[in-house]
Amino acid sequence: MDTLKIVNLTVTVENKVILKDFNLEIKAGEIHAIMGPNGTGKSTLTKVIMGDPNYKIKKGKIYYNDKLINKMPVDERAKLGIFLGMQMPLAIEGVTNADFLRTALRSRDGDNFKLYAFIKNLEKLTKKLHMDPDMIHRGVNDGFSGGERKKNEILQMYLLKPSLVLLDEIDSGLDVDSLKIVGKSVMDYYKEEKSAILLVTHYHRLLNYIKPNFIHIMNNGKIVKSGDESLALEIEQKGYEEIIKEGPNE
Amino acid sequence: MNKLKISNDNITLTSKDDKLSLSINNNSKFLGVQDLKIKVTDNTDLVIDCENFINKLDITIKILTGVHLNVYESKSDGEYKFQYKYYLEEDSFLNIEKIIDVSSINEMTIINLDGENAKVNYNLKTISKREEKYNYLVYHNACKTSSNIINNGVNILDGKLEFNVSSFVPNNIKKCEVNQDSRIINMTDNACIIKPNLFIDEEDVNANHSALIGTFSFEEVFYLMSRGINKKDADSLLTRGFLMKGINYYKEYLEGLINKYWR
Repeated sequence: MDTLKIVNLTVTVENKVILKDFNLEIKAGEIHAIMGPNGTGKSTLTKVIMGDPNYKIKKGKIYYNDKLINKMPVDERAKLGIFLGMQMPLAIEGVTNADFLRTALRSRDGDNFKLYAFIKNLEKLTKKLHMDPDMIHRGVNDGFSGGERKKNEILQMYLLKPSLVLLDEIDSGLDVDSLKIVGKSVMDYYKEEKSAILLVTHYHRLLNYIKPNFIHIMNNGKIVKSGDESLALEIEQKGYEEIIKEGPNE
Repeated sequence: MNKLKISNDNITLTSKDDKLSLSINNNSKFLGVQDLKIKVTDNTDLVIDCENFINKLDITIKILTGVHLNVYESKSDGEYKFQYKYYLEEDSFLNIEKIIDVSSINEMTIINLDGENAKVNYNLKTISKREEKYNYLVYHNACKTSSNIINNGVNILDGKLEFNVSSFVPNNIKKCEVNQDSRIINMTDNACIIKPNLFIDEEDVNANHSALIGTFSFEEVFYLMSRGINKKDADSLLTRGFLMKGINYYKEYLEGLINKYWR
């Protein structure tokens, strides 16, 4: 079974400790949502799992399917099946979506890459995500609205078929309709692929569409409380400060 | 459509319409200097393909009132020393798309925007492997004139690339648009230079200049690699995007060059 296991992880950025003795295990078929106030290390967690070299692992281990990935380059982690849907997906002028996606799929599939199947799949996905089919000829996220960029992340997720999906504030910048499309698409993917999903979000509204098995509250670089969906409702009612004060689960 | 073939020490007009007149002066050919004068009287395209040209060449192009000229120019092999002088009359428009793949080059381009509303749009792409130096003097000599000078180069092997762009707007020449955008992706340890100069003696002007020498940004490379693309392929993809951006006429030719150096 595909499993992400993080053991006593301490991470720094520019000598500032962001994650401290962090522990988490996510199995295939599980959705975990990480919530918490700003600056508690939620986005850092996703980037460190993906292998962003700006984040230095000082202590601890990250395993994916029992393989230690602490020092693995980012492209190899992606090939293992790890995908990061970014909070602010970058625009890359000049590189078309078509070139980018073809290169990514060729990197994964090698000689098994099928151009016709890729085109057909793309047509289907742009329709599903209510995206302009011409986006494929435009630069990666170039001139895309915030919502289009997030949909483009989900489109890439569908094409690359990862077994571990990290979604960093995938709901930010989305209007109500787009949130529904993105949320539903993530849930559909989860059901089809039985993947593991780690969501980072500030708001309960995303959880109207994506139903996590576990919710964790992070503060000062570690998980301070875990629970089921009812914890998200509690956060809505009480706010983070009060819940964090209450202390960890008994 | 007009086509000029410039190779060895020959300048040949291979295709011509009646929308421009052209004179070639070979009087100083024996000294290694040639001279080409073009007058454009109606909207047209001019393709200049240069290959291994060995002499110095002065090219003067005059664009008459209200005329729109597209210049598509490629240079391959050879060591080039060219000087260009463009004169643009009122309401004229000059659009230049230029692809360079040479041994070495030293160019001077002088653009005179002499009539109101004259506009120039200049887009150069080069793959620099030895010494390349491009100098520009852009004179806004009339009100409401517009210049957009874009230089993009990828510096590889023994390349030393230099862009010197100077734009001039004198006092009382109002409502001009001045833009310079120079970027060098330096894939060597050699020094590259950009000098983006704006000499503006008028307040009613919209002027921008940007200059960047470096490699591709970490964020761009990380984004591509996070989709399973290795570093080499990510660099290659970004290089292709950087060079292909804004290119229309020479798309296929440029694609071939990129494949030559990055595959």
